[in-house]
Amino acid sequence: MPVGLQAEPSLGVPGKKRWAMVVDLRRCIGCMACVCADKAEYDVPLGVWRTIVKVKDTGHYPNTKRHFMPRLCNHCDNPPCVRNCPTEATYKHEDGFVLQRYERCIACRTCIAACPYNARHVLPKNRDRVKIGGVVDKCTFCSHRVEKGLAPACVQTCLGRSRIFGDLNDPDSEVSKLVARHKTVVLKPEKGTRPQVYYIKPERAQTEQVFAAPQSYAARSDSEAFYKHNRGSKFFSGVL
Amino acid sequence: MFEYMSYNIAPWGHEIVIYFFLIGAASMTFVYAAAPAVFGNVFGGIAKSMEPFQKTGLFVSLILLAICGPLLIMDLGQPSRFLYPILYFHWTSPLSWGSLFLPLFGLCILGFYYGSMKGNQKLMRWTGIIGSLLALSMPLYTGLDLMVHQTRELWSNPTIPLLFVILSMSSGTAVVAVIHFLRGQLDEQAAEFLHAFLYISLAVTFALFLAEWVVLNFGTGEKQQAWEIINQQFGFKYWGVTFLIGILVPLVLVAAPKIGRNPKVLTLAAVLSAVGAFSFREVLIYAGQLTQINF
Repeated sequence: MPVGLQAEPSLGVPGKKRWAMVVDLRRCIGCMACVCADKAEYDVPLGVWRTIVKVKDTGHYPNTKRHFMPRLCNHCDNPPCVRNCPTEATYKHEDGFVLQRYERCIACRTCIAACPYNARHVLPKNRDRVKIGGVVDKCTFCSHRVEKGLAPACVQTCLGRSRIFGDLNDPDSEVSKLVARHKTVVLKPEKGTRPQVYYIKPERAQTEQVFAAPQSYAARSDSEAFYKHNRGSKFFSGVL
Repeated sequence: MFEYMSYNIAPWGHEIVIYFFLIGAASMTFVYAAAPAVFGNVFGGIAKSMEPFQKTGLFVSLILLAICGPLLIMDLGQPSRFLYPILYFHWTSPLSWGSLFLPLFGLCILGFYYGSMKGNQKLMRWTGIIGSLLALSMPLYTGLDLMVHQTRELWSNPTIPLLFVILSMSSGTAVVAVIHFLRGQLDEQAAEFLHAFLYISLAVTFALFLAEWVVLNFGTGEKQQAWEIINQQFGFKYWGVTFLIGILVPLVLVAAPKIGRNPKVLTLAAVLSAVGAFSFREVLIYAGQLTQINF
């Protein structure tokens, strides 16, 4: 068992659940409905995201293609964020979720540094509606919905049915069938995190780390504005 | 619509860099201050040259620690929960160990000071030994704190904790040398003692700097990306401030046989090495956060 986890990896363990997501990139049309659903479900502040859809343009006119790449927490079976958390605020659930205890989080941000998928963010303190702030947050695979038999918000709203969610340990589940029948790819398998978001037919340009700088810094400037706005003081660079 | 995005950046900024530097300086300052009680007559009694520095060293170490603690707490999103890493101790997190060792280190400083006030040699010796070990654990844990990030290849590197311990030797030596120099106590024996430590720390830093260069240039795609980021965004800090001002110049100064032990030159070299120690940490901490940002 990987060290520092609260529950053993459940992938392939009989009698246990292993929730996972398959993202069929052949069906994603880049409508961003998943991003909006997520923002609405959790009142995610401007400037941070629980899930995003990356957009990548390849080629030169007239031979061009636009690729979409939904990204979220990979709910790894060996999550480095969990191992590094000094208070066990982020922990591994026996069904495979990687979750966050807001009441324990000190926002030291070591989990953000640990995550190779850039799936974590800090919630600011000055929020209008949801008062959870000053802590790290992330995608939870909508565990509160899944426990009630509902699909995650992003899956529910995906109009192309690109996102499919289910129990990978159940051979009759759709995700099991998709993973069995298709060539699937996980992100950064070499990092040893055992991620549980499987992609069907991704482009190399999206799964490989590239040296190329982004052609637009729109999101970066959004992010920087967010952290500047939520900064504690001018000298200190802490984000809250 | 944007292409590849940079998002969810939660920087470890000035506070962490300054904290890493100050805790290293505080640690080695205590080691120097406790050296006479810990080593006694070992190595020909050269550690005794630190006796005039003992009380001042403890005081400076305590002041630096008093800055470090609040600095670290202020950096947290939830400062009021600063005891949680101890209350909910997680053994695989270096931050938990650091949070536990930091107050224990402070207690050792106070214990050593109490022992010196009462003339209790036994207490001084034990708090000196335990305190020195805890002092070494401070830069060690800050390095481990980066090293355990298995997914960030610039940090996930066994030389980082060693490098941070060595850099803390440089900065601690600078603190001691400056205080000794200003008080006119940098005599031949003290200069010899500090010179040996500074020479070793600079030589090892130089070797680790070269090792970093090799590792990043002959490494994976991510390491090469880290190298590009270092050269593009931190070129002056890395080559100018860290390597030239912080390693090469002081190394040449302390290596020069005729002037290396001169109090003025030694103090200058120590201060320059402390500048390099700060800058080296800063570049590694910032650049380590920027790899993978385009992924």
